[in-house]
Amino acid sequence: MSTMTAQDFLTTWIPAFAIILACRVLPVFLLRGRELPARVVEGLGYIPPAAFAALVANDLFSPNAFAAGPWAALMPVAAAAVVFVVAWKTRSMLWCCVAGVVAYVLLSLI
Amino acid sequence: MKKVLAVAWPIMLSYVPVGLACGVLGAQCGIGPGWALLLSLTIISGGAQFMISNLWLAGVPAAMIVMSVGAISLRFALYSASLAPHLQKANKRTAMAMALTLIEEGYGVTLGKLCDGDREWTFRQALALNVVTILTWAISVAAGAALGEMVDVPTAVAGFAMTSLFIYLLWDQLVSAEGRVARGGLVAAGAAVAAVVACKLAGAATAAVPVGAVVGVAAALLAGGEGNKGGNAGVEVDGGAPGAGTGAEKGGEAA
Repeated sequence: MSTMTAQDFLTTWIPAFAIILACRVLPVFLLRGRELPARVVEGLGYIPPAAFAALVANDLFSPNAFAAGPWAALMPVAAAAVVFVVAWKTRSMLWCCVAGVVAYVLLSLI
Repeated sequence: MKKVLAVAWPIMLSYVPVGLACGVLGAQCGIGPGWALLLSLTIISGGAQFMISNLWLAGVPAAMIVMSVGAISLRFALYSASLAPHLQKANKRTAMAMALTLIEEGYGVTLGKLCDGDREWTFRQALALNVVTILTWAISVAAGAALGEMVDVPTAVAGFAMTSLFIYLLWDQLVSAEGRVARGGLVAAGAAVAAVVACKLAGAATAAVPVGAVVGVAAALLAGGEGNKGGNAGVEVDGGAPGAGTGAEKGGEAA
């Protein structure tokens, strides 16, 4: 993929900014003193784990990954497993990111 | 300010390496320090910023990138909604400022203190916390972008920093501080993973993330889950919101 032009950047940034801004600002002003239906609240609560799991799976799984051999496909999964263990042990974003990058680099040398 | 910095420093410390990695990855797309600074001061989300770079490098069209960023950013609506009852005490300008600078870790700290009835934690301090951590994030990302323009860092390595960040965020959503796993969240996550794999096998890779997120939410609702740690972290708009620290005590993220 080519590098972003100014038009590419603006085309991506402006709508993304608008969505995030709306998410941050609108609920504070629209929901003051109002009660959300329980099912809506429940659904909103499931968004973070669903979205993050989708992102992780998107990064780790590729249909063409096995074309370069089984280890090439499994190596990121192994590095991800290390991150899960570090998350369980430390609950620290910093250590998770450091461990993940280090694990990825070391496992890619195998 | 001392009190603010005492709370902020672990968050700031964790933002620096992740911000640098985010900036380096952005530089691979042509996002230089100026744009990186603009993104960091407006999007204020490491997950979203990493995602923009990663998906761009993967050749995903801008519209799908925006949809994916929107999907993972909807959680800010949840956080904003749970802050709403507490912000009734603030004037409109303060409420707006708090909403505009809403970041995950600042939210966790402030909501926890508000729910604990910490009268010494004022909105002014909460805002200062947000601003200090956002500035740390923005400067780190811009520095990373500058570094990325000078040094050739393998994209896969910088990109895996983002994957690690998402794994941390996923874990934080699924497992409470007491080690309790949220069943509903687990169902949502599992269904999302399955949907992403199915989309990619079907050749619909660009839609995989938003489809996965929607399928995950629907599956959890249909399964009649007991809620999720994130959902139970307080969108009781009229009542008090229970503490919702998202790992604030361990240093945070701007995701």
